[in-house]
Amino acid sequence: MKKKTNGFLWLTATPFFVLIIGFLFLPFIAMIISSFKKNGEAGFSLFNYTEVFTNKFYLQAIGNSVLISFTASLIGILVAVFVAYSFTKFSPKVQERLLLLANMTSNFAGVPLAFAYIVLLGTSGLFTILFNELSIGFLQGFNLYSWFGLVIIYIYFQIPLAIMLLYPIYLGIEKRWKEAATLLGASPLQFWLKIGIPFILPGIAGTFSILFANAMGAYATAYALVGSNFNLLPIRIGALISGDIFAQPELGSALAVFLGVSMIIALLINEWLMRLVRRDLA
Amino acid sequence: MKENMRTHKIIVTITFLYLFIPLLATFLYSLSTTWNKTILPEGLTLKWFVDLYNDPRFIDALWRTIQLTGGTMIVSILIMVPAIFAITVYAPKYEKWLQTIVLFPYAMPGVVAAVGLLSIYSKSGIPMVIVLAGSYFVLILPFMYQGVRNSLRTVNAKTLVEAAELLGASRSTAFWKVIVPNITPGIMVSSLLSFSVLFGEFVLANILVGGSFETIQIYLYRRLRESGHLSSAIVVSYFLLLLVLSWIMVRFSRRGTLKLKKKEPIV
Amino acid sequence: MSFLTINNLSLAFGEVNVLKELSLSIEEGELVTLLGPSGCGKSTLLRSIAGLVDPDNGSIVIDDKEVISMNPKDREVGMVFQSYALFPNLTVEDNIAFGLRMKKLNKTEIEKKVKSMIDLVGLNGKERSYPRELSGGQQQRAALARALVVEPKVLLLDEPLSALDAQIRARLQNQIRDIQQKLGITMVFVTHDQEEAMAISDRIFLMNNGEIAQSGSPVEIYTRPNSEFVARFMGHYNVLHADELQQIVGFDAGFQGSLFGIRPEAFTETNIHGDGIEVTGEVQKVSLLGNVVRYQLKTGTQHFSAEHLHRSQEYTKSGDVKTLYLSKEDVIPLT
Ligand SMILES: Nc1ncnc2c1ncn2[C@@H]1O[C@H](COP(=O)(O)OP(=O)(O)O)[C@@H](O)[C@H]1O
Ligand SMILES: [Mg+2]
Repeated sequence: MKKKTNGFLWLTATPFFVLIIGFLFLPFIAMIISSFKKNGEAGFSLFNYTEVFTNKFYLQAIGNSVLISFTASLIGILVAVFVAYSFTKFSPKVQERLLLLANMTSNFAGVPLAFAYIVLLGTSGLFTILFNELSIGFLQGFNLYSWFGLVIIYIYFQIPLAIMLLYPIYLGIEKRWKEAATLLGASPLQFWLKIGIPFILPGIAGTFSILFANAMGAYATAYALVGSNFNLLPIRIGALISGDIFAQPELGSALAVFLGVSMIIALLINEWLMRLVRRDLA
Repeated sequence: MKENMRTHKIIVTITFLYLFIPLLATFLYSLSTTWNKTILPEGLTLKWFVDLYNDPRFIDALWRTIQLTGGTMIVSILIMVPAIFAITVYAPKYEKWLQTIVLFPYAMPGVVAAVGLLSIYSKSGIPMVIVLAGSYFVLILPFMYQGVRNSLRTVNAKTLVEAAELLGASRSTAFWKVIVPNITPGIMVSSLLSFSVLFGEFVLANILVGGSFETIQIYLYRRLRESGHLSSAIVVSYFLLLLVLSWIMVRFSRRGTLKLKKKEPIV
Repeated sequence: MSFLTINNLSLAFGEVNVLKELSLSIEEGELVTLLGPSGCGKSTLLRSIAGLVDPDNGSIVIDDKEVISMNPKDREVGMVFQSYALFPNLTVEDNIAFGLRMKKLNKTEIEKKVKSMIDLVGLNGKERSYPRELSGGQQQRAALARALVVEPKVLLLDEPLSALDAQIRARLQNQIRDIQQKLGITMVFVTHDQEEAMAISDRIFLMNNGEIAQSGSPVEIYTRPNSEFVARFMGHYNVLHADELQQIVGFDAGFQGSLFGIRPEAFTETNIHGDGIEVTGEVQKVSLLGNVVRYQLKTGTQHFSAEHLHRSQEYTKSGDVKTLYLSKEDVIPLT
């Protein structure tokens, strides 16, 4: 049996793996190798990494990225914790529609999203005009092209993603648990404190790490908004590899390796936390 | 149990208001004559859409995007589906490997992937459009794998194949005549999902090919500061397309398939 | 006055009347089962008693107290769910202690009660395990312990054993019955399995379509069904119209009524009491069901079935003609 299968298996698996190796593994390896090379020199060196971790400019880019990703993810998840819970309270049919809408808006990201926010809150944006006409004090000085504006947009694309990731976790809370707790004398608050929250906490933490990784890698939104002007990690990488004169692909590779590694760590944390949840569900 | 449904309705309404306001504003903007000093648009018009669809540059960009994504999709489906099928059914012990490989693209945001691809292919002589298509193959791998894998599981592919082979079918006949017809709806769903991801892809396209192969997203990016109204017409068209795709996806997928799909960060 | 009395209880989900002016009463220390096909409203009735759903009409009195408008937690009822509903983030002992902690008992008392409950249900050694680490039967016993430890006035069990395989189920049936008698607690046990109901209950309430079809001891219900529904639900009763019955027993038997039920084992091979009606039939089919043999017989154009204990020396085959005897009181008029 086994021997006979080889023909079909080889025939189908070969092109598949050739493409995966060619466009996933080789570039990945090339990037790592390149990150250990100094521009124009042949041998290996740690120059690029030394540069990344001593140059204030790159450290600042990393810091900015971490800060903005953390803030936007935190706010996003705080909102989604309530919204996803509210979702579960509707009839199955309505829930399906709500998820569809959330899914749709979660596709609304990158350049189109940046544009929509320019229309809304840009220098001559609709809300900007509105705020000025109505003289709503603190909003008058709002500047979309600032850090604050960027956080607002990041939050926007985190919320639907967070909802979609948290929703199935809430579905894991069985109605019967609540009923059992009620019959045993627990108030709704006691139920959430003793059963509900401990149960979903790993899922929330896991979702947070996905959101964080998502924001860390986000490039298009910020780039569309202000080009290379924001000092963010992905923007720096993009500038280092595609700038014509100032291109320093090796340095870009080192930054990219750093970003990739931090994403892998975030996702590993997610895997680990999710396994905790699953063990409970089993 | 009596719960306060009103609160939940309010929460959900506010959320979707928040999520849809940028869309609505863009929509209104694409229909307005001028709208930069007043609270409401000064007049309504379809001019921007007419302009957009008469712009040869837009039509070209659209055509390029369709060629690129469509071509990538077709090649990907033809290569991925039989391979995933063969591995899960005939070499199940390597499935674990495949599952791990499939997670890699999640950990590689567009910029990171672009760095690697540039460093290996930028001087190789291979046209960068082909490299872009190759990177799209990897980008949609997780979605396609999930979809194909779930479909194979739902139709009990292994048993089906064994039954077909006992009745005298060859391996490839079993695949084409028995498996493919059964998993087509599932493949359709993940293909549409992949298609909408690729259609909205900007990072790889911008870094790998940029202006030399202007896709819709790059066109939008370049037009952004020239004409706001025209740009909003693009965004609205793009979103309508997403809407149609989502709708078709739901028609194809059985209840609840969509919510289980893991989202790829596409920003 | 009974310990638990339900009077004219009605409940509708939208257009569907799930409970229809249902009344029943249960004595203290009794184990009664609510038996009936799935969808007949058993769970809804049980959940009404617990206060997890609100009936539209009627009254529920537990220990002389009207509970219909009370919150679930004030009713002093315990419940064991089909899915066990153990809290996944708590160990077995924390699950069991949950209700006691809610009552703010002191620590040593909680420990003592949890310990004795674990002994009672036989979960020693599993105190620190999480629900997912237990087998189905162990989870079920943990759920039972969790409900019992707060000493409810009535324990409600909603198909507690239906997810378990046959052997474990039989063992747990005995264990639940033993615990019930040891503690003298009042239990309402829901099941759709008539054998299970007969095995453990003092009394059975057989439900159909939101109403009590018949109630009584297991023997009464099994041997004296009052309707076609009960007869068909409780066993392989032959349900016959008057003219069909006449074909089998002859025209002179003189039964009053239009519909009758006869248990298959009521057809005996010997005329035990001497007053049996002689019935002859051609054997159509013989099936061996373990210790019982079932014959499909035919008299004239009328088919019926008979069952006897299996004895290996018998050689009855299809096509044989068999003579059997039927006592008059085993022909039960049905409505
Ligand atoms: N929450 C509910 N909403 C609407 N209909 C329900 C609900 N719960 C039960 N039903 C309906 O009430 C009927 C009785 O259900 P149930 O009491 O669960 O039956 P049983 O436990 O006897 O199988 C069924 O037709 C069921 O569909
Ligand atoms: Mg039920």
